[in-house]
Amino acid sequence: MNLQVVFCTHQTASLSVRERLAFSSPELLARAYHDLRERFPQCEFVIVSTCNRVEIYTAHDVPGSGPELRQIAKFLSEFHDVPLDDFYSELSEKSGSHAVRHLFDVASSIDSMVLGESQIVNQVKSAYDSAAKATACGLLTNTLFQRALTVSSRVRTETRLSEGRISIASVAVIDFGKSIFDSFRDKTVLVIGAGEMGEETLRYLKSEGVKRILVCNRNPERALRLAHEFGGIARDWTTLDDCLCEADVIVSTTGADRPIIDVPRFKAIRKRTGERPVFILDLGAPRDFDPAVGKIDDAVFLYDIDDLEATCQRNRNNRAHEIEVARQIIEEETTRFVHDLNHKSTGPIIKQLREHWQEISRQELDMLFRKLPHVGETDRMAVERTVDRIVNKLLHPPLEALRDESREGTPHGLLEAIRRLFRIS
Amino acid sequence: MHIDKVSTFCFFASYLVALGLELTQFMRTSRMNRWAAIGFAGAGLVAQTIYLFHRSQVSGLPPLIGSMHDWLLVLAWVAAAVYIVLELRDRRLGLGVFLLPLILLLVGSSNSVIKIGQPRDTQYAVAMLHASLLVFGIAGVMIAFLLSLMYLIQHNRLKHKSPDPDSLQLYSLERLGRMNWWAVVGSVPLLTLGMLTGVCLAWKSRTTSSPIDLTSAGFVVMYGLWLAMIVLLGWLVGRSQSSGKIVAWRTLWACGFLLVTMLCLEVFTGGIHGKKDRRTGTFARPSGEWDVTAERLIQRSTEDRS
Repeated sequence: MNLQVVFCTHQTASLSVRERLAFSSPELLARAYHDLRERFPQCEFVIVSTCNRVEIYTAHDVPGSGPELRQIAKFLSEFHDVPLDDFYSELSEKSGSHAVRHLFDVASSIDSMVLGESQIVNQVKSAYDSAAKATACGLLTNTLFQRALTVSSRVRTETRLSEGRISIASVAVIDFGKSIFDSFRDKTVLVIGAGEMGEETLRYLKSEGVKRILVCNRNPERALRLAHEFGGIARDWTTLDDCLCEADVIVSTTGADRPIIDVPRFKAIRKRTGERPVFILDLGAPRDFDPAVGKIDDAVFLYDIDDLEATCQRNRNNRAHEIEVARQIIEEETTRFVHDLNHKSTGPIIKQLREHWQEISRQELDMLFRKLPHVGETDRMAVERTVDRIVNKLLHPPLEALRDESREGTPHGLLEAIRRLFRIS
Repeated sequence: MHIDKVSTFCFFASYLVALGLELTQFMRTSRMNRWAAIGFAGAGLVAQTIYLFHRSQVSGLPPLIGSMHDWLLVLAWVAAAVYIVLELRDRRLGLGVFLLPLILLLVGSSNSVIKIGQPRDTQYAVAMLHASLLVFGIAGVMIAFLLSLMYLIQHNRLKHKSPDPDSLQLYSLERLGRMNWWAVVGSVPLLTLGMLTGVCLAWKSRTTSSPIDLTSAGFVVMYGLWLAMIVLLGWLVGRSQSSGKIVAWRTLWACGFLLVTMLCLEVFTGGIHGKKDRRTGTFARPSGEWDVTAERLIQRSTEDRS
């Protein structure tokens, strides 16, 4: 199986690295696919880029034709204009069944910062759709990603991973937000950006009783849609500073490629608001708030994705049993997928072998029936069925051997032996 | 049951075990241990109630006016009751590590101060009011002190982005700040009124054989601390843009200094009401009638009842 993944995730790389390698907008992603296709024309690609991970899946038909880790790293370096030395040591690579298992882990949220979170399924699905749209997918990646979504669904159904605190927003609000504010009912929440993460956070905050919601987004239509959905007020992007002054809770999830709020800008805002407590949840990757904003005064509480790591780890430890169950499902599905894939690779040989033997049997039967013209239609059919059964019975041992061998990987030796024994090209 | 056998050691030991159990939460969070801590604190509270009741019965005086020993025990009793009630309401809260050391300090120091009660006299009502106001005022100061401490710990955790520890769950900054504000705003008027009634009592004592000297060093220190609390109150009420952390630090310093000074005055000098006799190690009381020994008091109250 010629499949591999090169990745950096919240477990292998810091947010400062991830945000520099992220493909934060659809335009950037389209450009990346175009660039990859030019560099490696024989390969299939899918890029999964979220706030917690940047992963590039590659698949190819011809062994040895796929890109190596160093080549993918070079692509990332040149594409994002980031020196290779800044991130190379934080990249990881997996191939074959390990790559399959990794994707299943990701899609099932086993590899997520918040175990059981639902956003990752949509993110994987969206990544696959983008790759398909860019015609970067192929037979192998299609099969792999479709199966990953099925596995994710099975894990969610058969385990209790999705119960309880299952979003980054809920973890942040419960562990930090609720330690700052007693209640959110009388607070003003500002959401900067109108993406899925912002929506998820708003859904959670709404359940906590938030009444006043402001949505500020570069695209006013999207802001209006989100505000309408949660009973909030859409504000124009130019009024962002005024919104920041009004807000007690700020959730930022834009796809900006650099911080939109720096220290001087936020200092000016604090001058207007005084040292009133403000809880800022920066869920953007790249980050929307300069990390130094959190040090402006004692009442600014700024958290980014990586700040939630310890809490998420504790959440994960509490669900060790469910992880075990999920891992068993993933292991089973990985074995099945790899087997199916390997078995599929023996398909052309089996087809040729079967056609070859059936051709011989047809020729022999034709000769026989020419010599016995008095044989009736019923008898002819009975003889044909008998011969078919003989052919199938003779084919059974080699096919069974191929099936058994393909459990361990593509049975190149056996396939070669069959080709030579039965003179199949 | 011999209620006269209940001593301060009984409930001191109970609270100590409760504190030990609370501290085990830092090693391994256990609901069982929390329940056990509440149970031991409850047992201590029952023993303390019996002890105070017995002392009150023997002296014929309510605990609030009994003696400094009783004052401190009443404060400890209030703190223990608050701890149990709050823990029963939310067992995840880690209040024990704050309240139980204070309770132990109060119970422990109550053994180092005057145990002799003051018999009922003509100024009983004023003395009762004076003591009650001061005890509740000091309770407020104690609460403000602990709330400020909790605020600073919670603030520090949030600023360092550490996850909420199971072993030490605290109220939100908003609630701690609000409670702190009310504790200061509530305790300062009580302390002020307590001091005013004290001045009245001192003024009336000028014609007795042992007049109270309002210009003594102990009183001057107390005036200074009271003034500091007034300033804190004024600043708290008048502030508009100060951060909660500054409020907590100032409250912590003001209240902490007040509590430590008062405790030191009581333990080492016999308090502002009396001076320790270096020869006998006992405390002299200002009023002639107040010079009675505990035995005489007990004897008198027993005779009264019979």
